[in-house]
Amino acid sequence: MSSAATVVAPGATLPGAPGLPGLPDPAGAVGAPGARTAGATPRSAVGAVARRLGVRVLGAVGVLWGAATLTFLALVLIPGDIAYAIVGGPDSNPSPEVLAQVRTEYGLDRPVWQQYGSYLLRVATGDLGTSYRFHAPVGQLVAEQLGSTVVLAVSAAVVAVVGALVAALATAGRRPAVRGPVSGVELVLASLPSFWLGIVLLTVFSFTLGWFPSIGGDGWRGLVLPTLTLALPIGAVLSQVARSAIEEVLDEPFVVTARARGLSDAAVRVRHVLRHTLVPLTTMTGFVVGGLFGGAVITETLFNRAGLGRLLLSAVNSKDMPVVLGLVLLSAAVYVVVNLVVDALYPLIDPRLRSAS
Amino acid sequence: MSAHRTRAVATLAVGLLALTACSTGGSSAGGTDTPSGEPTATAEPVPGGTFRIGTNGQEPTCLDPHGNASTLGPILTVPFSDSLVWQEEDGTLSPWLAESWDVSADGLVYTFHLRDDVTFTDGAVFDAEALKINFEHMLDPATKSPLSASYIAPYASSRVVDPLTLEVTLSSPYSAFLNVLAQGFLGVISPKQITEAPETICEAPIGSGPFILTAWNKGRSVEYTKNPDYAWGPGGTHDGPAYLDGLEVVFVTEDATRYNALVSGELDAIEFVPPQNYDAVAANPDLTTFTEFRPGHPLSLWFNTSRAPFDDVRVRQALIAAVDREAIVKSISFGQWDAAEGYLTPSTPDYIEDVEGDLGYDPERADELLDEAGWTDRDPEGFRTKDGRRLTAYLPTTNAVPLRIQIAEQTQAAAKEVGIDIQIQYPAPQELEQRSAAGDYDISSGLWSTNTADVLWIRYSSANITTPERRGLNGSYLRDDELDTLLQDARETTDADERHDLYRQAQERLVELAPGIPFYSDPRPVAHHTDVHGLTYAHGYLSPYFYDVWVEQ
Repeated sequence: MSSAATVVAPGATLPGAPGLPGLPDPAGAVGAPGARTAGATPRSAVGAVARRLGVRVLGAVGVLWGAATLTFLALVLIPGDIAYAIVGGPDSNPSPEVLAQVRTEYGLDRPVWQQYGSYLLRVATGDLGTSYRFHAPVGQLVAEQLGSTVVLAVSAAVVAVVGALVAALATAGRRPAVRGPVSGVELVLASLPSFWLGIVLLTVFSFTLGWFPSIGGDGWRGLVLPTLTLALPIGAVLSQVARSAIEEVLDEPFVVTARARGLSDAAVRVRHVLRHTLVPLTTMTGFVVGGLFGGAVITETLFNRAGLGRLLLSAVNSKDMPVVLGLVLLSAAVYVVVNLVVDALYPLIDPRLRSAS
Repeated sequence: MSAHRTRAVATLAVGLLALTACSTGGSSAGGTDTPSGEPTATAEPVPGGTFRIGTNGQEPTCLDPHGNASTLGPILTVPFSDSLVWQEEDGTLSPWLAESWDVSADGLVYTFHLRDDVTFTDGAVFDAEALKINFEHMLDPATKSPLSASYIAPYASSRVVDPLTLEVTLSSPYSAFLNVLAQGFLGVISPKQITEAPETICEAPIGSGPFILTAWNKGRSVEYTKNPDYAWGPGGTHDGPAYLDGLEVVFVTEDATRYNALVSGELDAIEFVPPQNYDAVAANPDLTTFTEFRPGHPLSLWFNTSRAPFDDVRVRQALIAAVDREAIVKSISFGQWDAAEGYLTPSTPDYIEDVEGDLGYDPERADELLDEAGWTDRDPEGFRTKDGRRLTAYLPTTNAVPLRIQIAEQTQAAAKEVGIDIQIQYPAPQELEQRSAAGDYDISSGLWSTNTADVLWIRYSSANITTPERRGLNGSYLRDDELDTLLQDARETTDADERHDLYRQAQERLVELAPGIPFYSDPRPVAHHTDVHGLTYAHGYLSPYFYDVWVEQ
């Protein structure tokens, strides 16, 4: 959710930003149909959006149910004795009474379909259950760890998006000597394993230069390296997408018009071209959210940060079914909400899409 | 951004070069200690400050001493939880919360006489009733104890004789009872919390120790503050409350990060010093280091003696003789550790130094034994065969522990020299666990840390072979009547000399039975800045102990 907000934030402010002299022009120059129908759109557009939202909400419930079911099946089908894993696995020496207690208390002795059914019923009432291993409510565990992950994800998303836009705007359509190296660096960053990237950042900026703490720590200094580890690969991909979008727009007639009016190159790029990259960038939101979630597991472990990623890792390893299911449901819900928001935003970002729908 | 990126990449490259060129470069990075802070043995302890120590990433999921079995359990629970008895460095047991104890002649009845001045930090009083409630909490299936319940399995009942005397009756004599009581896993927690709010113990346990657990930042650290009323430390420690105002134990998974956080001064101390950094720590004037080895069973590769090829003792002895354990251990530890001499580590009570029998490296003997066992033919790849079948052994193991991978691979190479084909497999943890439960392997790996030779009963008695009813830790499926009798008798005797002699015979019998290849005693090395004083070990379960720690201001 957080990342969706930040991805959208630049788009939401830019089109509506008052007093920017360049803004009315692109709409007028390119979107002649959009401008003409603008007066008639509100009611029909709202109706269309509402219908689409309704379908999407139903679909969203289906997605959540599917995610919960698949995860449940996967955990049941993984080999190994769940009760033994819950007690501590090979580190432990549980008595038969303890294993029996675990099986009864968590209903592991019941048929799988019964376990599944009672799980769905509980989730439907909003109860995510109690962690097998932490002996604490899943909701509480997630709430404890959520803040740390959200801070990391939001800062990484901001850095990735802003960095990508700046890099793309500055280099799109430039001569190969400028564009080539930047694009090359992006390719390298996008294909680096985050674990390795994190180790390199730690080695240079923490172990060698001592600029940042190596074990997280509180405050912004502890956030810098994890944020970069998470943001660089995502930002690199976004920048590539944004650059190609910008280069397409730079060939449009309204750019020529703007330049003919004597606007500087920078003004043309920032005032006129930028908002045209918002649609492809918004479409990439799903990728960004996925990258943030996946990357959090590695980044949090490497930088010794608390967070959902570490919680998920420990839960999967110890077959802590309620925690795994709770986190899967949470991430599925985030995806669904982000996609709903993005769908609703397209017509607001690009007036041409209102009439198209 | 583009210019910034380019510069960043250049800095990375330079940084990596600098790092490879100058391995001690890290020590100049932000160290907080000055060379003037030389330690003086007679220095007067200075109270105050918060002490931060980094440990590895094996964070438990429950901080109830009775509710976890983690290697990191006691380092986290001993700060807030005291034990009945204290184990000295030389292994002797001395009074702590129990002032004294009597053991009946038949070894069945233990009478504990308790201190009268101990209170828990929630105000509850430590007395015979409190101790009884603790024993019952360990054994209550609802506690889901993964370890302490098994360690006191012979406990039958207890009777409050008077407020400060508890009489514990066992169902069978158990010579290791007092030893295990010294382990942090059997520390005492508040009876009030056990009876009134047992669901809170995992998250925020309450004890009587020198520190109060104040916060568990899951995935990061556990924090404590000083218990100002503490006045009942074990013998050999100072009087009164802890010197430190605060304590934080930080989980640092990555070895390199843990070491560098120490060097940079982010941490005052670390444990599990990575072997590759031993030399750098020793060479660093800001740092001091000490190490001891965990008692119990050395890290070993165990043979599955219940199926071919290792159901033949000659094949087991042959593989042991084929492996140069000393060379392997030196190579994986950067020359720091020694190979194990037997099936107990030297720091275990009743360890016998001069065990009869031979675990030495002798490839010629290995070849002879394999010939004797009938594995005389060779296939085109040079592996031995019998009746057309190759001498193959499957070794499923975890790929998460580099040391274990190195041991497996070097053993595989040594085995190939004498014609044994070891197939290393890296199944997913869950599949590994299932195969381990089903006995579907030829070689397994592991260790077991406990402060008594009873570890041999845990690991080798036929009573501890996994059955459908019971998970056991006898992963070698060893079933030997003579050994069973020796281990059971040693468990039940009340005579220390007799016990010692029985364990001597057991250790010698094990060398004959050759159930596995013992590699090394697991160390728990600690390193700290020189301005840190009083950092020692709790020996009941070897782990850093903080009560006497103070830091120069």
